[in-house]
Amino acid sequence: MLVQALIKPNTYFDSVSLMSLSTKANQIEEVEQAIIAMGTEMNKEVMKNVGLMTPEVETAGASDLIIVVKATTDELCETAFERINELFTKKNSGKKGKNDIKYSTISSAAGSNPEANLAIIAVNGAYAAREAKKALENDLHVMMFSDNVSVEDEIELKKLAHEKGLLMMGPDCGTAIIGNTALCFANAVRKGNIGIVGASGTGSQEVSVRIHEFGYGISQLIGTGGRDLKEEVGGIMMLDGIQALEDDEETKVIVVVSKPPAPSVEEKVLAKIKTCKKPVVVWFIGGNEEKITEAGAHFAKMSKEAALKAVLLAGADESKLNKRALNIPLIEEVRTKLTPEQKYIRGLFSGGTLADEAMHAAMEKFDNVYSNIQRNPEYRLKDRYTSQDHTFIDFGDDEYTQGKPHPMIDPSTRLERFIQEAKDPSVGVIVMDFVIGYGAHEDPVGAFLPAIIEAKQQAEQEGRHLEIIGYVLGTELDPQDYEEQINKLLAAEVTHASSMQNAGLLAREFVVKGE
Amino acid sequence: MINAISGDSDFIKEMNNSLFTGFVHSTFNRTLNIKCFESGDLFTIACRKLDNGPNTLIVNVDNMKSGKIEVNDRVRVVKNLLFIGDKLTISMDQINEWEGVLPSYPSNEEILKRNVKKMKDYINLHGVGGGMKKKIITENPFEAEVSNMLEKRTYFLMNELVANRISSALPHAVSLVGLGPGLTPSGDDFLTGLFTILNMKNSPLYPNKKLICEEVLRKAKTLTNDISYMTLKKAAIGKVRESLITLLNSLLIEDDEDLILSLNKLLNIGSSSGTDIAYGIVFGMEATIRAGGKVC
Repeated sequence: MLVQALIKPNTYFDSVSLMSLSTKANQIEEVEQAIIAMGTEMNKEVMKNVGLMTPEVETAGASDLIIVVKATTDELCETAFERINELFTKKNSGKKGKNDIKYSTISSAAGSNPEANLAIIAVNGAYAAREAKKALENDLHVMMFSDNVSVEDEIELKKLAHEKGLLMMGPDCGTAIIGNTALCFANAVRKGNIGIVGASGTGSQEVSVRIHEFGYGISQLIGTGGRDLKEEVGGIMMLDGIQALEDDEETKVIVVVSKPPAPSVEEKVLAKIKTCKKPVVVWFIGGNEEKITEAGAHFAKMSKEAALKAVLLAGADESKLNKRALNIPLIEEVRTKLTPEQKYIRGLFSGGTLADEAMHAAMEKFDNVYSNIQRNPEYRLKDRYTSQDHTFIDFGDDEYTQGKPHPMIDPSTRLERFIQEAKDPSVGVIVMDFVIGYGAHEDPVGAFLPAIIEAKQQAEQEGRHLEIIGYVLGTELDPQDYEEQINKLLAAEVTHASSMQNAGLLAREFVVKGE
Repeated sequence: MINAISGDSDFIKEMNNSLFTGFVHSTFNRTLNIKCFESGDLFTIACRKLDNGPNTLIVNVDNMKSGKIEVNDRVRVVKNLLFIGDKLTISMDQINEWEGVLPSYPSNEEILKRNVKKMKDYINLHGVGGGMKKKIITENPFEAEVSNMLEKRTYFLMNELVANRISSALPHAVSLVGLGPGLTPSGDDFLTGLFTILNMKNSPLYPNKKLICEEVLRKAKTLTNDISYMTLKKAAIGKVRESLITLLNSLLIEDDEDLILSLNKLLNIGSSSGTDIAYGIVFGMEATIRAGGKVC
């Protein structure tokens, strides 16, 4: 690959034009890579760092414009420069492209699209409540992706929605599938007759993809927002969601997904389920089986179990389902590879409910399980940068996302932590989720692959086996290539778990000593 | 002949009190820059859609391209008229003088802290990526490396500033000059935001502003282009665009609508410049808040 540079002395273009030119230059067929920037010392340092330094760039001054092109041959570089020069001369003559229609207000959007019945609100938390109220007043269901909305506003909005017979999903609702359309972070699953109401985003995603894998599908997936089942909010949306699914003709079975609700809310939800005419499967992570079965619901301890019970209730023939049992010989094999010192699990998750599920699996066998999402304050991580014994981290939690996108989009924080954990000789297994689907990173496994390979090599040089379990949450219908994600894990000698439930159980079993 | 609507008081003084001759340094759609022979500084003529700023005259036209003005055209001021060759004459008879004055740092930080948090959330969501704001998927290794370097260097700068290790902070600040894409590199825009905060009277970091700003500026002369350098030079003494001052005033009061309106105006500057300046302001405010009583 050849790198050539063109210097335009004392040439100034405004930043908007430069960005636009740079984007267009990178779209030229012959170009592997094109950079257009001012020739400052710092930018030259960057060029050097990324292998684009040339003698011409070296001599450029801070007021010179540098154009660097990477292509396979001299001729292609020349052609690219010609095209880029054309772009420079044409820069003012182009007409603006056609864009989607943009509306300034909810009311104008609703007025211009009378057939629309749902608004997604993803503005700053300070303004989200106001916009949601406008949407509800315009008779639109609302999915509110925004967080940092006050509880008072949430209650007011949910009461208003309830009065108007509308859904108020959120605040902080990241997952929904309405009318077979995935909204925000959701997976492409087939349409079916199982409805989900979830207060846990990735928990609902996990149940939906397991149902899909069992050959069934989703009628609706209604998100409530994580705070709905707290005492103050009282589960308004959960109750309305169950009612909506009960009224929905396409839904035959309902699955309720949440962390354990506040006791008074749990009572209300279970009372609602008791009167529901459709079968209901309840997966309250770490929830109480007795209370749930007393309400006439079907209790599920883990995600795959919830999906399995739902498909059986929807008419599946159990004998024909591949339930993907745990690989017992593999457990024995890994145990023999780990030294007595390699005692601990480190769970690094982008999905909060996925972290919770794996953590609960570990808590069944070990007392010393620490996390940033532990409900018992005694076992909450004292220092978010340092792991303790068995540690499970939800990187989507606010403390890890300050000023950064969610880890399902930006893997950098989790990646750094992975590198740190992989060096710890007391670690037996690292378990991680890789969420694909709408809204998620285009290649989550790929982002980790170099670090995984290096970590495994490093461990081997130090004479220890580093066991890594990877779980890809997704389906073959998702925009990313599901199979390719799995194949990348396998190629890096990562143990691929077929579900989050299996990932949690495998991690736990791998580090059990002396059984 | 066209009219100047408003102008920076320093620019007006410069034209009134001494000889002012120069040449056209650079031209854009909405602005042109003049290099003054006498002071060596750059001065800007901007169309009416833009806000007031240091060394800037706002004129009553929608764009600057119609007069066919070219780089190196001679400029001179005679009485109340500014001539650009024989292509354009600007009258200053109806000019309104503008003087940008930064507000003082508040004695009670509570509202400020809340607003800085809101501002940070807002720019994280609505800011333009590619500079201080990392893009989720970078377009090329250059962009990724620039963002990484900006992140690392601002991180080290913050550590040194809050610990009041000013001499150790300086190399990190200097290492941002000229770093990044755009006419005004992202690192320069960030420093413009930071310098603005350091120049707020009564702030805990105010006693150090002279040392920091002057030293960075001294090194910046050869590290960035003339246009960006001029912006930094002015910001180093607290002279910044009207939209920045408006935003600072919004940060001091409890009015969310006002804050967002001000912030949107800032974010609309350049490609990612507004976002990079906004991050500099947030950084400066956070450093000031964290430095608290330690520095004074």
